[in-house]
Amino acid sequence: MGAKVRYIEAVRQGLRSSLLDDPAVIVLGEDVRHGGPFGATKGLADEFGKERILDTPISEGAVVGMATGAAATGLRPVVEIMFVDFVTLAMDQLVNHAAKLCFMTGGLLRAPITVRVQGGVSGRFGAQHSQSLEAWFVHTPGLKVVAPAFPGDARKLLEAAVTDDNPVVFVEHRGLYWLKGEMTGDEPASGSIVRRHGDDVTIVSYSKMVHEALAAADSLGAEGIECEVIDLRWLAPLDLEPAVASLRRTGRAVVAHEAVMTGGVGAEVVARLQSTPGVRPNAPIARVGAPFAPVGAAPHLEDAFVPGSGDIVRAVRGLLGEAPPGPISRREGSP
Amino acid sequence: MRRLGVWDPWEQAGPLFFATLPARGRILSASEMGGYPGWSPVLHNDPSRSVLRFRMTGRDLVADQEILARMWLVRAFEEKVSELYAAGRIAGLIHLGIGQEGSAVGTCAALLPGDYVFGTHRSHAHAIAKGADLRRLMAEIAGRATGYCKGKGGSMHISAPEVGFVTATGVVAGAIPLALGAALSSVTRNQGRVAVAFFGDGAGQSGAFHESLNLAALWKLPVVLVCENNGYVEFSPLSAHTVVERLADYASVYSIPAVTVDGGDVLAVRHAARQAADTARKGHGPSFVEVLTHRLRGHYEGDPATYRKLSEREEWTQRDPVARFAGYLSGLGVASETLDEIEAAARTQVAGAAEQALADPPARPADVTGDVYV
Amino acid sequence: MIPELPPDRLVDYLYRMLVIRRFEEGLIRLAGEYAVGHFHVYIGQEATGVAALAQLEQGDVGFTTHRNHGHLLARGTDPAAMFAEILGKETGTNRGKGGTLHIASAEHGFPTTSAATGGCTPLATGAAFAFSRLGKDRVSVCLFGDGALEEGTFHESINIAALERLPVIYLCENNSLEALGQKANEYPSSTMSAAPLTDLAAAFKVPTITVDGTDTGAVHDAMATAVERARGGAGPTFVEALTVRWPGNRPLWPQLLTGATDLSYAWDASAIPADYAVWHTEQDGLLRYVRELLSDGVLTADEVLAMDEQVKSRIEDAIRFALDSPYPPVAAALESVYA
Repeated sequence: MGAKVRYIEAVRQGLRSSLLDDPAVIVLGEDVRHGGPFGATKGLADEFGKERILDTPISEGAVVGMATGAAATGLRPVVEIMFVDFVTLAMDQLVNHAAKLCFMTGGLLRAPITVRVQGGVSGRFGAQHSQSLEAWFVHTPGLKVVAPAFPGDARKLLEAAVTDDNPVVFVEHRGLYWLKGEMTGDEPASGSIVRRHGDDVTIVSYSKMVHEALAAADSLGAEGIECEVIDLRWLAPLDLEPAVASLRRTGRAVVAHEAVMTGGVGAEVVARLQSTPGVRPNAPIARVGAPFAPVGAAPHLEDAFVPGSGDIVRAVRGLLGEAPPGPISRREGSP
Repeated sequence: MRRLGVWDPWEQAGPLFFATLPARGRILSASEMGGYPGWSPVLHNDPSRSVLRFRMTGRDLVADQEILARMWLVRAFEEKVSELYAAGRIAGLIHLGIGQEGSAVGTCAALLPGDYVFGTHRSHAHAIAKGADLRRLMAEIAGRATGYCKGKGGSMHISAPEVGFVTATGVVAGAIPLALGAALSSVTRNQGRVAVAFFGDGAGQSGAFHESLNLAALWKLPVVLVCENNGYVEFSPLSAHTVVERLADYASVYSIPAVTVDGGDVLAVRHAARQAADTARKGHGPSFVEVLTHRLRGHYEGDPATYRKLSEREEWTQRDPVARFAGYLSGLGVASETLDEIEAAARTQVAGAAEQALADPPARPADVTGDVYV
Repeated sequence: MIPELPPDRLVDYLYRMLVIRRFEEGLIRLAGEYAVGHFHVYIGQEATGVAALAQLEQGDVGFTTHRNHGHLLARGTDPAAMFAEILGKETGTNRGKGGTLHIASAEHGFPTTSAATGGCTPLATGAAFAFSRLGKDRVSVCLFGDGALEEGTFHESINIAALERLPVIYLCENNSLEALGQKANEYPSSTMSAAPLTDLAAAFKVPTITVDGTDTGAVHDAMATAVERARGGAGPTFVEALTVRWPGNRPLWPQLLTGATDLSYAWDASAIPADYAVWHTEQDGLLRYVRELLSDGVLTADEVLAMDEQVKSRIEDAIRFALDSPYPPVAAALESVYA
C-alpha cells in the first residue's frame, strides 16, 4: 500500500524525482520558484537552486522555444504553462518546432521537452481559463500526450514524460488537483488501464472524466448494469488493446471526455474501435463530451456545459435502449 | 557560467580564444578545428578545466584566404542551386543569400567548432560557413536520401549538428528562442559554448523576437543575435513594416550591447562577432550584431523582385562582399592567380558535390512515417 | 495635485473612485460568503483609472484585462450588473457568460475584455485601426499591467500602431513598484530586463509619459495630452502610471489586509493604525485625492462622508440586486456560439 497524496503533490513529487534523477532536467515557468499558483513546484527552488528552477516572463512562445533549443542541445526541460488556454501563445514553437524537430532533421536531433498544462472546467473561471485542448496536440505528429486521472499516475507518468526523448504534453486537470489517492510507484508507465471490470458496457475515458465514468458505473451497478471502465492515460500514442478486448466482450461502448465532442479525441477512439478487425459492436459506439460552445462563466452555464456521470449514465442507458433526454442537447457535430 | 582563461601570455600576440575539450585532456585535431587553419592549439592553460587556448598562427593572410575560400564556396554553392532549380533538377521553395556571404562567413569565422548556430529559411550560407558537408547539404536540398535530414528538411530546414549548425526554421523569428535554449544548455552544462541566432529584419516585428531579447538579457545568456538586415521583408521594404530603421536600437532597450556593421566587409563582421562571442563566452550575456546587407536575388528563386530599384541593385553589386574582399587581399599583395585559384577551387568542389548529390538516390517513401518519434 | 477642472468634475472623480473602492471591498466580503471564483481587484489604482478614462468621450473605447472592475466602473457601468456578472447571473453585463475576468459593456466603451495577459493589446490596436480607416474621430485605449509587456503581442501591436499612426493609447498600469523588494511568499510581479518600461515604446518612436498613478492631476494631464495627440492624428502614446501594489493584493487571493477604507484617515492622521500606516499616509491614491480636495476647499470632510454613505448604500443595493437575480437559463450555454 502506498501513501495517499493529493494529485498536485504527486505532480510535485514527479518533478522532484525527475530533478533528482537527471541533472539535465530543468523546470521553467511563470512563478515556479514560488511554487506556482497551485503549488506544483513548491520547494523545488530551495532544493535544486535557481539554476534549475527558472522563473520566466509571461512569454509562453519564447519559453517553449527556448526549452526546445535547450532540449536539442542536451537538457531535459519541463515547462509549466499556467493554463492550457495560454498554450495558444506557444503553438508555433510547440507544433512547428518541437514536434517536428526529430522528423525534419531525419532523426539527427530530438526535443525531449515536457510541457505541463492544466485545464478543464473547475472553479467558474470562464471561457479563457477552462478549456480542454488535448485534441490539438493529439492531431500533431511528433507530440506525445498524456492525461493522468489519479495521483499515482500523475507522478509515474510525469517521470515517464520527462525521460521520454520526445516532446510530451502533460495534461493535468485543475479539478483533480486536490483529489487524494494512493501512490505506490508500481503504476505502469505506459498503456491504458482497466479501472473497473464489468461485462455489460465498456466506458473508455481519460483524465477527470474517468472519475465520472467510475461514478456512473457505480450507480448503474446498483441496478445490475455492470460497466467496464478503461482509463486511456496516454492519448498519443493511444493504446486501445484493453478497450478492444473489453468491447469484444460487452459489445457496447461509450467514449467519454470533458473536451468539446466535435473533433475530439473520442472521435478518434470511436473510429479506431469501429475499424478494428473482428470488432462488431451490438450498437453504434456512443460519445459523451462537451457541447459545441465555449464555457460560460456563470455556475449554471458551466454546470450545463460540463459533461459528467449523469451524461455517461444516459449514454449507457441509450445503448441499452432506455434513454431519457438530457437537459441540453449533446448531439454530435457542429451546427 | 564558468569563466574561462585567466593567464594570457599571448595577449599581445593576437586575439586568443578558448574552447572546452570534448573529453578531458584530449587535443582537438585539425579537422575538429573545423576549417579554421589559421587557428591552432598552443598550450594547455589549466588541464583540470579541460581548456585549450588557441591563437592565430602566422599573419592573417592564410586565414584571410581561407575566409575568401569559404565565401566562394557559399557563392558557388548558391549559384549552383539557382542553376539546378532553374533547370528543374531540384524542387521546392528556395531562398538564396547571394550577396550576403559576408555575414555568414564573417560571423562563423569568429566561432569555435562547438558553438551552436541556428538559421532561417535563407541559411545555406550559415551551414556552409559553419563547416557543413557540401554534398550532404546539396543532397538535402535536392531531396535525396543521403541529405543531412534524409530529405525531410529541405532547403528551409537544414540541420548539420555535427558541425554545430543545429537547425533552421521556416518560421520568421522561429529559431531565436531555440538559440536561447542552446545558450541555456551551455550554461547549465558548463560547456562554455556560444549560441548564435541568425535572423532577418522581418523578425524584428515579431513577438518572439522581443520575448527572446528580454529573456536573453534577463538571464545573461551566452547568445549572439545576428540580424541580417537586407532591407527587405519578403517583398516589401522594411519601412513598410516598421518605423524603426536600425534593429540594433531594440537591443539597447533590453540593455543588450549592439553594433551595426557593414555586411559587405567580412572582416568588420568577423570583428563584431568576435567581440560578441567573447562577451558571451566570458559570461557577460548576449550581444546584438546588426549586419547591413543585401540579397542580390529575389525573396525566393523565381521572384522577379520587381519591387526593387535597379540603382539599389547596382550599388550593392559594388559592395559585394566576395569581390570586395578579394580586392582587399589583392591590395595586400596576394597574387591575382592565387585569388582566381581560390574561386576555381570552390567552384570545382561545389560542382563535384552537386554531381555526387544528384546521383544519390531520392528520399525513400518508406521514410515518410519514420522519425516522427525518436 | 488636483486637475484643473470645475468643482463638479472634481467631485465626480471622487464619486467614481469611491464607487470602485467600495465595490471591490464589497466583492472581497462577498467572496467570503459565496463561491465567486478567483478574482482581481483594482484597489489602489482608482486615481489612475478614473482620471485616465475621464478623458474619453462617448464612442471612444477601452480594452482591459482580468483586473477590469475599476475601468468599467470609472466609465459608469452599473455596479449591480457587474456584481451580477461576477455571480453568474442573467442580469450580468455579459448575461453570466463572462464572469469577473471578462466583464464588458459596449455601451460604456468596453466591447470585450480578454483575460489572457497581453490579449488586449492587439484588440485595442485593431479598434484604433478601424477608427482610422473609417475616418472616425475616435480613440482607443489599451489598459494593461506591466506583465503584458512580456508578451510578444505588445511589441507586434505597438509596431503597427506606430507605423500607421493609429489613435491608440497604451496605458500601462505598473503596480509592481515594490517588486524588487519583494518579500518571501508574496506573489511576484513582472520580469523585464527593460528599465524603464517606457523604453519599450520609445524603441518604436512612440512618445511616452510616466506619471505617479496616485496623482489624479498628473494622470489627468498625461491622458489629456495622449488623447489630444491621438485625436489629432499624431499617433499612439505610451503612458506608464506607477502605483504601489495594494497590500491586500499580495496574497494570491485578495484580502482586506488594510481593512475597509476609513476616509477619516485623510484628515485625522492620529486615527491611522500602525499596520500598513505607509499605505494610508502615502500610497493610497484615494486618500491622497480626498486630502487634496479638502485642502483646496473643494469639499468638506462631512461632504466626503455623506458621499461615501451614498456610495456604500448604492453598492449594498447592487450586491442585493445581484444576489436576488436569477441565473441564466441552461439553454443559454449553447447560445451565441456564432453570430
